[in-house]
Amino acid sequence: MGRYTIRRLLQLIPVLLGTTFLINYMVWQLPGDPFAGRCGQRPCPDSYVSAMRAQFGLDQPILLQYWQFLKNMLSGNLGVDFNQVPVVTQLADAWPITIRLALLAVAIEAVIGISAGVLSGLKRGGFIDNVVTISTLFLLSLPVFVTGFLLQWLLGVQFQIITPTVSDEAPIMELIVPAFVLASLNMAFTARLTRTSIVENRRSDYVRTAIAKGLTNRRVVGVHLLRNSLIPVLTFLGTEVGSLMSGAIITEGIFNIHGIGGLLYRAITGQDYTIVVPIASLLVLVYLVSNLLVDLLYGVLDPRIRYE
Amino acid sequence: MRVTKGAKIAAGSALLALGVAACGGGSGSSGDGGSNPRTATGTVYIRGCEPQTGFVPGNINETCGGTVNDFVYSKLVKYNPDTAAPELDQAASIDTTDNKVWTIKLKPGLKWSDGTPVTAKNYVDSWNYTAYSPNAQIGSSWFADIVGFDKVNTADPDGPDGPKQAPKPETDKLAGLEVVDDTTFKVTLAAPTAVFRTKLGYITFAPLPEAFFKDPKGFASNPITNGPFKFVKWDHNSQIVVAANPDYAGAEKPKVKQIVYKMYKDDDAAYADLVSNNLDFTELIPPSALAGDKWKTDLGDRAIEGQQGVIQTVSFPLYDKEFGGNADFRKAISMAVDRKTITDKIFNKGRVPLDSWVSPIVEGYKAGSCQQWCTYDPVKAKEYLAKAKGEGYTPPKEFPIWYNGDSAHKEWVDAMANSINQALGADAGFTVVGRSMPTFDEFRSVITEHKIKGMFRTGWQMDYPHIEDFLNPLVKTGASSNDGLYSNKALDEKLHEADTATDQNQSVSLYQQAEAMLADDLPTIPLWSYGLQAGTSKWVTGVKVTPFGELDPLSIAIKEA
Repeated sequence: MGRYTIRRLLQLIPVLLGTTFLINYMVWQLPGDPFAGRCGQRPCPDSYVSAMRAQFGLDQPILLQYWQFLKNMLSGNLGVDFNQVPVVTQLADAWPITIRLALLAVAIEAVIGISAGVLSGLKRGGFIDNVVTISTLFLLSLPVFVTGFLLQWLLGVQFQIITPTVSDEAPIMELIVPAFVLASLNMAFTARLTRTSIVENRRSDYVRTAIAKGLTNRRVVGVHLLRNSLIPVLTFLGTEVGSLMSGAIITEGIFNIHGIGGLLYRAITGQDYTIVVPIASLLVLVYLVSNLLVDLLYGVLDPRIRYE
Repeated sequence: MRVTKGAKIAAGSALLALGVAACGGGSGSSGDGGSNPRTATGTVYIRGCEPQTGFVPGNINETCGGTVNDFVYSKLVKYNPDTAAPELDQAASIDTTDNKVWTIKLKPGLKWSDGTPVTAKNYVDSWNYTAYSPNAQIGSSWFADIVGFDKVNTADPDGPDGPKQAPKPETDKLAGLEVVDDTTFKVTLAAPTAVFRTKLGYITFAPLPEAFFKDPKGFASNPITNGPFKFVKWDHNSQIVVAANPDYAGAEKPKVKQIVYKMYKDDDAAYADLVSNNLDFTELIPPSALAGDKWKTDLGDRAIEGQQGVIQTVSFPLYDKEFGGNADFRKAISMAVDRKTITDKIFNKGRVPLDSWVSPIVEGYKAGSCQQWCTYDPVKAKEYLAKAKGEGYTPPKEFPIWYNGDSAHKEWVDAMANSINQALGADAGFTVVGRSMPTFDEFRSVITEHKIKGMFRTGWQMDYPHIEDFLNPLVKTGASSNDGLYSNKALDEKLHEADTATDQNQSVSLYQQAEAMLADDLPTIPLWSYGLQAGTSKWVTGVKVTPFGELDPLSIAIKEA
């Protein structure tokens, strides 16, 4: 297990190098001058454009810029963005909020999705199964922004139970509704995935053996059936953590949450690579680490899977 | 049995999630009448966005920064929030006999937010700093009228792309600026400029205190200012807080203790907060609320309607043989645009069809300067298209209208293309299509490199309320925002005559004559001018919106409970 983890961690290095280089390269290939739109309908003065290019090293060759980026990234000195605001403080402000939102969403997804999936899987064709199928179909067909605006309007504007937007500190309480919106789509996926998996495994030999041994229903379902059935669900949830962190742009916009999504969106439209590249690189890291964790959890769930 | 129990747990947890959500938030909102939550702190919350640059007036060229900087900096002149007319603010008098040498006297007793007096030297130093090209300030070109500008601001001989560096300027002081005494300074312009007094209300002409020059970088994020409000704090990407400045010497004092400039990524989010009284002011009502005048029912007497000095036009690349067209072709296109239907249907009358090149709210506006060319007339449009073809111009099979896809332009561009295609008929020999470029940056890059193939969206937001601001930067030969490279000698001469006229009224009428000349060539097609839709919460009162579409910070007051 230990050796496997170390090997996987070492593999992160070339993957990170490759992806960050690709990200850097792609950002430089974007058409348009990042400073052309900064003065609106008027062209920016030459002196301003030259000074900005010199400050951000845009007048240097690509490889040199990439080297500079690696050095800065490793030393933790990310410099300032095009607005002359330190990048590190912006990331430090936004990450905790996004992480809170993403974890909350995954938790909601896991709790509601898995329980709904187990219930419907155990009584296939029953009443609950039908309810779950219909409600997941409903959730799947609603785009996130519809759910978002609907809940915001209903709970925030009509009933005034919540504030329509989240305050700057973004406490957990205020994040529950946005997290629910964020989780709504994948909650349905999780439920369906769990259901299929449960239905399949219910007929497997080890479940029959467990029942034959005279174990209680609770033990059969909770320990034997569920653990094995959760492997595909876990894979799904693991990748979810990564995509929720980057993909919350719409939800963050609707509820005005000052997280990574909004920061990334603003930076992309402004071609501000000083923000885009570090965020994208960190997201790559999040993906890699969450995938590693998922792989390691397989071993915990299913004793047949060993890493040596 | 087990299953039912499980079901209860699942249902319970779902309910719990909703229930907890219901308890979350809720602070500072709701309340039906009763006490006003704003009274206790004297703080109001208005919609904002993250400024691109810090609090250095000479380096600002966008609305996010412009709005909040106008709260904290006072200039020599300010614009009346109702009429847009320039009025003296920090200046006691601005005198000239020939529109060339201007003597500016400051009011006595003006103070910075740190208590030090505002002096004539603060103004002169600030202007010199902005104009000096090694300081790389965005607003440097605003001082080009002043004697000695070419000595402090040197151009890069081969542009920013070339390998050569701009030579170091001879001096860092404009020869045309002279401090007479503590409260008086003299400005000498290179040529008479009648509109100079009006320009002085623009943010770039604000003064800077001594403290700025010691640490320009630090100052940008923690400024000392001379306006009705002073800077308190800036949490990047979330809020800027400004507080009433006790040292402010103006006659009209702020009526609130603090303004929180709350940043929103999404206009819809800000609107939802406004409707539920969590936000006290927004000047951006989202299209979803404008549709069917929903916002007026939502807000009732909290809705504010008006006009602002922004116009929408479409330009032609006159340097391009294929897409530049000729005057008759451009007239045909212009007459084929049904401005009224588009503004009615797409903008819910939030924009007003325009028949001139100047915003209706500024000094010097004259209705109908575009003559019949800005009136929808499909029959005549066809006639002029035939005429254009007879003169030897063949439009390409597909004629794009370009726009930037990162803001809401698609709807009206498509509608405009449809209107033209329908009016000119199937036998026109070409079709007009809407085309987008992903970002504003890319769009502007292609335009300024003069490589665009087709018509393109151009808009103009006034810098100061005067007809001059809609002509000189846009249609003069070689002007900074003359994107289509239009050039007309007679027009240039007329503009020069207007610039240098010593009499204000005569100057304005000369500008109007120059504008009338545009109707012959139609280098750009006027479309509509922007209306203003804003709203307030039920906690505030007296709110006025300036012709620049910004909140007048002195007007907002908290309602007495």
